[in-house]
Amino acid sequence: MRSSFAAICAMVLLVQPALAQVPVVPTYVDETASSGITTSYDGEWFFMVGGGVASFDCNDDGFADIALPGGTALAQLYVNRSSKGGSLTFQPQVSGLELDSVGGFYPADIDSDGITDLLVLRVGENEVMRGLGACMFERANEAWGFDGGDAWSAAAALTFERGASWPTIAIGNYIDREEEISPWGSCTDNWLHRPGATGQFAPPLPLTPSFCALSMLFTDWDKSGTPSLRVSNDREYYEGGQEQMWRILPGEAPKLLTPAEGWKVLRIWGMGIASTDLDRDGYPEYFLTSMADNKLQTLAAPTGPAPKADYKDVAFAKGVTAHRPYFGDDLRPSTAWHAQFEDVNNDGLADLFVAKGNVEKMPDFAMHDPNNLLLQAPDGTFVESGETAGIANNGISRGGALADFNMDGLLDLVVVNRNASAQVWRNTSSMAGKWIGLAVKKPAPNVDAIGGWIEVTHDGVTSRRELTVGGGHAGGQLGWVHFGLAAADKATIKVTWPDGTQSDFGDLAAGSFYRLERDKPAEAVTLRD
Amino acid sequence: MIIRRIAVLGTVALLWCVASFGAIASSRPEPGAMLRDWYFLMNELVRHTPTYSPPVASRSFAYLGVTVFESAVGGSDKLESLAGQLPGLTSVPAREAGARYDEAVIISAALSDAIVYYFGNTGPTGQRSIKNAKAKWHAAAIEGVPADVVTRSEAYGKAVADAIYKWSLDDGGAEVQNMGFPFELDLPKGEDKWVPTNVIRQQQYPLLPDWGSNRTFASPSGAACATPGNPTYSTEADSQFHKEAVEVYETVKAATPEQAEIARFWSDDPMLSMTPPGHWVSIALQVAEETNLPLDENVDLLARMGIAMSDAFVGCWHEKYVYNLLRPVTYIKREIDPKWEPILNTPPFPEYPSGHSVVSGAMDAVLTAFFGDNFAFEDKTGSPDGRNPRFFTSFSAAAEEAGISRLYGGIHFRAAIVDGLAQGRCIGAYAVALKTRK
Repeated sequence: MRSSFAAICAMVLLVQPALAQVPVVPTYVDETASSGITTSYDGEWFFMVGGGVASFDCNDDGFADIALPGGTALAQLYVNRSSKGGSLTFQPQVSGLELDSVGGFYPADIDSDGITDLLVLRVGENEVMRGLGACMFERANEAWGFDGGDAWSAAAALTFERGASWPTIAIGNYIDREEEISPWGSCTDNWLHRPGATGQFAPPLPLTPSFCALSMLFTDWDKSGTPSLRVSNDREYYEGGQEQMWRILPGEAPKLLTPAEGWKVLRIWGMGIASTDLDRDGYPEYFLTSMADNKLQTLAAPTGPAPKADYKDVAFAKGVTAHRPYFGDDLRPSTAWHAQFEDVNNDGLADLFVAKGNVEKMPDFAMHDPNNLLLQAPDGTFVESGETAGIANNGISRGGALADFNMDGLLDLVVVNRNASAQVWRNTSSMAGKWIGLAVKKPAPNVDAIGGWIEVTHDGVTSRRELTVGGGHAGGQLGWVHFGLAAADKATIKVTWPDGTQSDFGDLAAGSFYRLERDKPAEAVTLRD
Repeated sequence: MIIRRIAVLGTVALLWCVASFGAIASSRPEPGAMLRDWYFLMNELVRHTPTYSPPVASRSFAYLGVTVFESAVGGSDKLESLAGQLPGLTSVPAREAGARYDEAVIISAALSDAIVYYFGNTGPTGQRSIKNAKAKWHAAAIEGVPADVVTRSEAYGKAVADAIYKWSLDDGGAEVQNMGFPFELDLPKGEDKWVPTNVIRQQQYPLLPDWGSNRTFASPSGAACATPGNPTYSTEADSQFHKEAVEVYETVKAATPEQAEIARFWSDDPMLSMTPPGHWVSIALQVAEETNLPLDENVDLLARMGIAMSDAFVGCWHEKYVYNLLRPVTYIKREIDPKWEPILNTPPFPEYPSGHSVVSGAMDAVLTAFFGDNFAFEDKTGSPDGRNPRFFTSFSAAAEEAGISRLYGGIHFRAAIVDGLAQGRCIGAYAVALKTRK
């Protein structure tokens, strides 16, 4: 008896350190059926990629609305009618976004009028849609001098170059769709739409060479203060291509980073980019989705004022290769698309969502390929929790967004599926930590401070988030930036503005949403119940 | 660019010459040229179908080669069937005596089905390309051909393709899971044994460990043409093994621009290129086009090449898993310089012998037997990826360069190359010895 008791005690002592590493698994409930969302991303070959969702507030009520692409069907805007902490409810609204051949959306306030606009990626002519308020939009290609071109556009990113009052938009284009028998090697030029005359874009600049981009992100990878353009390319179609990073300096022609600057050849089926500063060294890590193994890149030597762009892959070491389904009988390799780092259990550690789905009945790849929810443990490794959390689906997913749709401090999820309805899950976790929601604003131009950084410090640990428009797969989020705070009752908030200056917003209490406006104190935001 | 010509096939079809030995003369595609266009497309599919590692690609080229060869046998007074010469292939459908057939229609029908049999697992773009190519090339093939001849010829081409496909199913290589990587495997233990060389999760077990037991075509088995084995593993400075490692280390560190270019020219990485088998098929297609090779010779060449390359990979893989030798990158980082990196990506399977060397030796045997010694040619295979064409004075010279490119690239020791070329030439001789001519 005594020996049994001792053995149990010993077991408990042995197990405790392991338990300490296990993150809290959030609980997600599929509320698609009652949500009002029915839009399906339809189409065959021309819509095998794309399917990105935009999450943003189009009616200034503080709740994130969503725009969903329809592929061959019409795109649809859904207004968020959820109540605070309640079930997820959306209402379709005629908005001006009812366009066909749409593959994705990125929200951004292009004209800095305080109303979010949308960049619409299409198979055909891209469009910029000016937000009019009350979730209404109008085409602004002509008014803003935006040449939408005629291509198979599948990626986009936006930044405001230093000193510019008008944004720069990068568009990633895919295959030459006129090539019927041999489309391989037919990648068409990506475009860089820089500011032209006041309130206008200049004619687009080809970003040659282009290698069939499926995700782009302006990101300050080296903390130089000037974001570069990271491009993830689909090796299925390029010849002699690779992943790319363009240095975009104001007033200068774009330049590709070279081996002399540390850049190494990487060839993957690049489909999505997620970034965050996982190791808290100030430099972002990049998760790159692909087929079979995915990549997690971190700087090999993050030292000195100008680190080399030499990235090493730590996906295997961190447990985020996500190379095949994590449950079920289908053990074939996975196909990954949208990826996003967010703290879904509010433990202060960024977790990783990955949307999965076969390209189109490829027999060598999993057909039942559930989306991943990889929770970060305190040691920096990740634990797959998609099935336990309840987000493992049967759809063929493409885009997605983690956002707090019912404003309860827990990140919910919307996922776009091919030829089937999009799905929404509500995060109903009861064991999650504390949190804070932040919206950064500044005077025009660039009212959303794209290119800036938020720093949140609690319990002696600082988390940093870069404010970007781009990445993911064909869609993005704009609005509240969510931070989990674990058990902390408050956090110290600092913002680095795009021009490099900083604002301290002091200590803010957990459990609230705050508007952080430049040169003003933080303002707690009251939302509808 | 070679592949671009596929897209304009319809335009140039009217300019093609009269069929070389077809029963019907017209301005339709010459069957040999049509055959080559199908092969150009299949080489694209090799590159763009993820399961197509070099062994898998070589197997498909073997069955495709036999399919087009047997499709053509009945229409030629020069060719002799391989039925009875290849294990398990006892008979092939025969043509109706005295009935009229069209060679272009037969080839088109046979490859329309065969391309699906052997590339049916390609992605949506490959499927779309196959569908569009079949429609376009079928229309070109039947132009001006009487309906009854079309019907009869198509039925025959399909019957041959079907017979060869059924024969292929039990050779051990028909089903490839997880892109060829085992889900679990007990790796041999020992300091000389292969260990994973990258951090790709899927590639922590080596590629196709059982491929060496697949049924062969012309050589007796995977164990035929055995290699002498790698030099005895040693870390002693004066050992042969260590000296070969130092050679790789120093060659890569001091690689000349030409050596680096040669390494990349023959790199032929799966999923980024048409692989080594596809590279050699590309060479053959270029030579066949430049020499305007007639259909009967073209199918003979493609069948022998396919058979030899498939047997080469079975034989090579058999040896690889006898010796399970570690890669240069593993040894050099452990014993010489932990910061050393090869020029090429190290393939995820054991080192000895070199696969590219074995298949290149086999191709040297077949092509030299076919075109003769000192047949000079220019290889433009690398051009679409931005690499410059390379000129060779003979197929043997090309094979030797393909072999040594693996040392320049830092992924093979010299013994694997020398022994690999010899093993390949030995295996290729079996394909050369097949009786394809009456």
